[in-house]
Amino acid sequence: MADIVMAYSAAHAPMMAADPKSAPPEQAARFFAALETVRQQAQERRVEAVVMISGEHFTNFFLNNLPQVCVGLGEGHVGPVEKWLGIERTVVPGAPGLANAILAGNIADGFQPALSHKMIADHGFMTVYHELDPSMKLPFVPIVMNCTVAPLMTLRHAWNYGVSVGKAIRAYPGLERVALVGSGGLSHFIGEPRVGDIDEEFDRWFLAQLEKPDLGDLLDMDNDELMLAGNGTGEVRAWVAVAGAMQGAKATTLNYEPIYEWINGMGVISYEPL
Amino acid sequence: MSVYQVQQCVFDHLRALEGAPRDQRLPIAVEGYELTAVEQLALVEGDVDALYRLGVHPVLINGYCRAQGYKRADYRPLFKNAAADPSRRTRWQTS
Repeated sequence: MADIVMAYSAAHAPMMAADPKSAPPEQAARFFAALETVRQQAQERRVEAVVMISGEHFTNFFLNNLPQVCVGLGEGHVGPVEKWLGIERTVVPGAPGLANAILAGNIADGFQPALSHKMIADHGFMTVYHELDPSMKLPFVPIVMNCTVAPLMTLRHAWNYGVSVGKAIRAYPGLERVALVGSGGLSHFIGEPRVGDIDEEFDRWFLAQLEKPDLGDLLDMDNDELMLAGNGTGEVRAWVAVAGAMQGAKATTLNYEPIYEWINGMGVISYEPL
Repeated sequence: MSVYQVQQCVFDHLRALEGAPRDQRLPIAVEGYELTAVEQLALVEGDVDALYRLGVHPVLINGYCRAQGYKRADYRPLFKNAAADPSRRTRWQTS
């Protein structure tokens, strides 16, 4: 059976790839150092595939048909879709056996995600994936979540979904060493009058809750309250899902930087394997 | 007519740009959508504030502004009215 040999969550601001030097050098260096730490972990632990959860940005879906969750089952995933991202577009290998096992496990647990054999990976996946494996050869299962179009999954629902994902990965007999990654957040505001703001207080509180064994009262927060930290901040659902998959594991914040030049609270939290 | 039609128009415009050479500025095509005069004007003039007030999703507005060449938060001045301070107190506020 597969082990989740490493798990972490990281912010995915497009500017971290498109214009990394726009950030204050010390802040960027600390953030990228945290990503270097997890990249080294992946190499040391000989990760065979990565399952990554990120938010939907109208890349794969529109308002005519928008699932709360979709699992990418394809043999390969084209990305990034953004020409300006600074990452060369390629076909990242999929891990269809693992992806099918996750989807089947989710269904057995009572969730009903959509499926896609032709998922496109946008900046939400590719910024973090490229930092994990610059060669872009690591087999990859994308799971996209609706994080911005109401009505939305509650944080408790996202956590429960993550529990199901973790269970399905660990029950998969086809691989031994899998990484699980949440990508998105932290606080940010886009496409509205507060674009550029960062809620540092929320970010630090959120990371502190994830480090608590019981997550404090994080899962009790309703979506209206979460939106007050930013209309893009709902992407932390991916982080909460990873927390669900890693329940019982010690979580450590590797880095937090409010990088205003990237209009995003940036951070990385890592889990010790169970 | 409906904010859905406005959003569909913006979405289709962004998709068309994906297939165009980088940095090419395509005019937004408003034909074929059921739009009011106000909606059509907002789209043709690229009035970001009007699109926001019509209810276009912020992710689409963000993509539209990026396609117009705005970077980071430099499109913030396009919104004519500042956001109102939220009256609800949140659990993470310490002050």
